[in-house]
Amino acid sequence: MLLGVDLQLLSQYVIAGLMIGVLYALMALGITFIYSVMKMINWSMGQFYMLGSFVQYLLVARWLGPDLWFVALPITAACVFVVGAILQLVLIRPMFTGGIERRDEYATVITIALLLLLQSLATVLNGPDEHTPGSHLPNLTIGTLPVSGATLAASVGGIVALILFAVLLRRTWIGLALRAAAQSRVAVQTAGVDLMRLDMIAFGTGVALAALAGALLAPVYLVYPTNGAVTTTKGFEIIIIGGLGSIPGALAGGLLLGLAEALGSVFIAPAYQNAYGFVLVIALLLVRPTGLFGERLRAA
Amino acid sequence: MKATTIFRVAVALLLVGAGCTPERGVGAPSSASAGGVASTDPITIGLLTPLSPPGDPAGGQLIQRGAELGVVYVNTVMKGVLNGRQVQLAIEDDAGTPATGAAGYRRLVTEKKAVTVTGQFHSSVNIAVNEVANGVGVPVISTQGSAADITAKHYPAAFRTHVIDPFRASSWLSWIQQKGYKKIALVAETSDYGVGLVNETKAQAVAGNMNLTFDIEQFDHASTDLTPQLLKAKAFGPDLVINIGVGAPADLMLDQANTIGLFPAVPMLVSYDTPTRAQWFQLHPSDGVGVYFIAYFHPKEDLSDAGSWLATAYQAKYNEPPVYGALNAFADVIVTAQAIQKAGNTEPKALIAALEDPAGYKGWAAVPVTFPKDGAGAFYHTWIPPILILQYTQPNQNWRDAKLDASFSKKQ
Repeated sequence: MLLGVDLQLLSQYVIAGLMIGVLYALMALGITFIYSVMKMINWSMGQFYMLGSFVQYLLVARWLGPDLWFVALPITAACVFVVGAILQLVLIRPMFTGGIERRDEYATVITIALLLLLQSLATVLNGPDEHTPGSHLPNLTIGTLPVSGATLAASVGGIVALILFAVLLRRTWIGLALRAAAQSRVAVQTAGVDLMRLDMIAFGTGVALAALAGALLAPVYLVYPTNGAVTTTKGFEIIIIGGLGSIPGALAGGLLLGLAEALGSVFIAPAYQNAYGFVLVIALLLVRPTGLFGERLRAA
Repeated sequence: MKATTIFRVAVALLLVGAGCTPERGVGAPSSASAGGVASTDPITIGLLTPLSPPGDPAGGQLIQRGAELGVVYVNTVMKGVLNGRQVQLAIEDDAGTPATGAAGYRRLVTEKKAVTVTGQFHSSVNIAVNEVANGVGVPVISTQGSAADITAKHYPAAFRTHVIDPFRASSWLSWIQQKGYKKIALVAETSDYGVGLVNETKAQAVAGNMNLTFDIEQFDHASTDLTPQLLKAKAFGPDLVINIGVGAPADLMLDQANTIGLFPAVPMLVSYDTPTRAQWFQLHPSDGVGVYFIAYFHPKEDLSDAGSWLATAYQAKYNEPPVYGALNAFADVIVTAQAIQKAGNTEPKALIAALEDPAGYKGWAAVPVTFPKDGAGAFYHTWIPPILILQYTQPNQNWRDAKLDASFSKKQ
């Protein structure tokens, strides 16, 4: 027993918290990546998570079958990448080319509009039904915690996606360009890089990461038009904890949020599970307003 | 592109997004007022229901389906009301939010000239709407709001055609005693529905000296990971888990309880009729069997002729049998039409008096719908369908063939 809590129960909570933390990190990574390159927040990220879950469901349930779920993942990510790139071209690019003075406000209005549009369209087109792509993966036990095969696959898939993303950023020319843009958009432009094209790739990649999280979690948390709502909330909690624009911060923030929810649930009460993240955010803002990995901007 | 053009695009997108929620009106445009209107003008019935988050759009869409077919029934089978005047539906989205619901009620009554408002799903919204209706006077017929306060305040404009918390709790407590269960885990969302049912169940168990032990685990409706609550419930060692989630949480709870070994080792009772939906065994191909669930009519029981008409029309239109939400919304519309016919006009006071007629009106069930004005507490102005407890005993079982484990009726 620890502070009156059964150790087996505590270990189960910690394992569950870390597993969900990996997926939280994947959800937040897209938000922070888009911000780091484009200096804008995409408020419609949850809707791309939803879109990813629907594409995965259609691919698996209609064509591939549950045994080939992993084949559907890259197809889902690619489909949503294309959708994101087109939307960036039509809706976001004018922010940089149209002489907009208040880019933050423009980005906020346009992405909230996109949020409403995608969510309402999904509600109308889908109707009242929920779906699942199904999973044939067996349940198993990790340490003391029984978990579904689909949950474990989602966590492992999340880790693989995070590693692949890190490799893409560090080992490829496009990754180098994206990292450079994150440091200084002006410098990248003066070096002859097509910044508008880079923005399109960054936005597409960011929303594809959210879609990947939606696809991985589709058999675990079901597929329905409002399933992205939680993603948006948790994603923003994580980027505040980890530091806006910091990719290691997204990973650390996701794991910390998962742990905070788990420990809060076991030592206080599970009823307030969603509140523990906010408590962590407030505590961190008081101690370190830039987040764990964020950097203070110097005034010009 | 100029900044002004871009801003226009953004505003247009916002408007499209807001307007893309399911259609806001069905039928001819309204120009009728509640009272003195031209005799050929259509009569508007308001439908105020959740069609977008944070409400439950699935619940609202099922209600909308039933209400729309109710209008078709009134205009075709009943040949309209008051010498052939057509009925139309004006739809507002309450988004599951009390403030939005109250504003929606005002808009329906003042702008759309609705003579009654129905379709309420979330108890918290219903309670807020009733406060406004108590001043305005246009009756509200709650379709699926179960909190006692919806009718317990005895507001003249507040009506309901749904099971209320005290009856639901007393029904499952009777069933628990029949089964001999002693340790009960209540896993409930922190909505008026969840909190109300938990409080009512505990209070009735204490009042009845039932010698039951409860473990209460609560969660936010937006939660997707209920593992923490279920692990605690499992550690409690219950004889029964009562699943008090609405929509996706009810489904997630079953799957996650199955994963951690809580269900089917421990029986689970789902607090409402979501397992009757055609999607049940698609969502739960392996763990959907064995679950107990509440239903409000037995599929083999006789429906009224109107109820049978709906079952046929609904099956033809949506390729699945109607569920309770659609049945109730359908009934609310046709009951309103019959009350208008009996009142002879659409004045609120005359309509309220007509709705209180003890002879009642034809709904979906074989028994008439009545709204007793002498009903005690929450039973005031409330018509209650029976509560049945069914159980799936085979995979992919049609809910019409589910095992009837118990049934409870409230004398109207």
